[in-house]
Amino acid sequence: MCRTGGVPEPAGTGGEASTDAAFTALLEDSVEDLYEYAPCGYLSTLMDGTIAKINSTLLDWLGLDREAVAGRKRFTDLLTVGGKLYHETHFAPLLRMQGELRGIALELRRGDGGRLPVLVSAVIKYGTEGEPLLVRITVFDASDRRAYEKELLHRRQEAERARAEADEARRQAEADRARLAEALAVLQRSLVPDSLPAVPGVETAVHYHTAAPDQLGGDFYDLFPVAGDRWAFFLGDVCGKGPEAASLTSLTRYTLRAAAHHDPDPTSALTTLNAVLHERYTADGDPRYCTCVFGIIEPGGQHGPTTVRLASGGHPPALVLRSDGSAEFLPTPGGLLIGIVPGAPIGTVETVLAPGDTVVLYTDGLTEARVGAGRDDLYGEDALHAFAADHAPAAPREAITALTGLLQSFGDGLDDDTALLALGVPAAPSPLGPETGHAS
Amino acid sequence: MKPLALRQHATATGPVLRVTGDLDYDQAPVLRGRLDQLSLAPGQCLVLDLAGLEFCDSSGITALLAARQHALAAGADIVLAAVPANLLRVLTLVGLDQVFTLRPDPSAAS
Repeated sequence: MCRTGGVPEPAGTGGEASTDAAFTALLEDSVEDLYEYAPCGYLSTLMDGTIAKINSTLLDWLGLDREAVAGRKRFTDLLTVGGKLYHETHFAPLLRMQGELRGIALELRRGDGGRLPVLVSAVIKYGTEGEPLLVRITVFDASDRRAYEKELLHRRQEAERARAEADEARRQAEADRARLAEALAVLQRSLVPDSLPAVPGVETAVHYHTAAPDQLGGDFYDLFPVAGDRWAFFLGDVCGKGPEAASLTSLTRYTLRAAAHHDPDPTSALTTLNAVLHERYTADGDPRYCTCVFGIIEPGGQHGPTTVRLASGGHPPALVLRSDGSAEFLPTPGGLLIGIVPGAPIGTVETVLAPGDTVVLYTDGLTEARVGAGRDDLYGEDALHAFAADHAPAAPREAITALTGLLQSFGDGLDDDTALLALGVPAAPSPLGPETGHAS
Repeated sequence: MKPLALRQHATATGPVLRVTGDLDYDQAPVLRGRLDQLSLAPGQCLVLDLAGLEFCDSSGITALLAARQHALAAGADIVLAAVPANLLRVLTLVGLDQVFTLRPDPSAAS
């Protein structure tokens, strides 16, 4: 920017007259006046640093008198302690070596004790023999620039702090979510057993499909021994979703277990559950209910047939896949949702399982799965019956595997929890070898 | 999802509440909220006209049961009128056809 020529740059705009006036004003500006009142500080020092000459601008900035400075102070006397150190270790040696320095950031001490951030450029003036004579120094006020840099730094630090806080919050949220998921998993395991106990003479299999992994399921099942070599089992579906459904499921499961130990009769167990749920919820104006099928299986073993007695309150009918390749529903007409009215009617049915027969309990997630575009295009009982007949005969594990595949085939159409429980009598080893004919 | 709309008018025998749209998990609370506001005198009959009900899931059935509970607590009666075929199938499946009085036509309620 510094022009060495004597002719100032002409102004690019304005009329002829005003341009001439500006020229005249500039030409009248004396070199001394420019030196003294330039918009930057000037000083010249001897090679030992003694200040020989200093302009008014810089004296003004520093709040110092010329008499106290010229010939009395050295350049380093104007610097802060840190500046002095930097001058000694870098500034002076580099200047001696290179003959000039540009844009060095330093802080000057003002007369009032304040500090003035500056950018300093220096050049050595040499004599005709090449010997260094003096140092010319230009000082620019860098207060604004320093403030700007500080502001930039401040902003960056703030941004980094905000990012660190956001990272921390996200980490915390992830930890919370993991803890919650773990708690849900533990609760879920209290609602359905981890594994089914082994029942002598009976094969069992189960599948639980959870529609939303972060929600406690509303379906439940259980299998446990009761008096007289019999086994009780149940499967059902509570109304609602989430924690409220889970608390209802919990009450349902433990009520049924206790009732079955007291009186291992399917109707009696569901009647007790109905009374408990009605008293706990519906009577208080907060109707909650479940559908449930409760069964007692009495394995016959060597001595006789295996019998299954079922009772149902508003639950879809159980399926039986017979060893002869047929399939049938076991309707329990008249049964009502559990928990709605006192003394609700319970439907019952009884069947005998021959070797190779399998009874399947399911919740309506299976039959109510959407298979079309509409909200009411549901899979339905007829399709399920056809599917079962197609797969009969099937041992419990085979039946559950086939039905699990069916559930997967529904894709997004399966938007409800679904529980499947199968119990069957193992097929007698056939003297004719494995059966091949699957009736459809 | 069809928005749920509720329209109420009074008759000599009690209020008729016409329910149209979807009665599902998101919207069933709307019906339950309205029922809480509904005053019934002993001996009156609350008619829920379901002719315009397009969808009803288990939350909707819970709301219908809450309506029944509300009516019974007031000493009133409740009738479900013009129940769509799909809902009728579900009500029958879970035995609620025994619990609710069902009528084909809301105008026959009186």
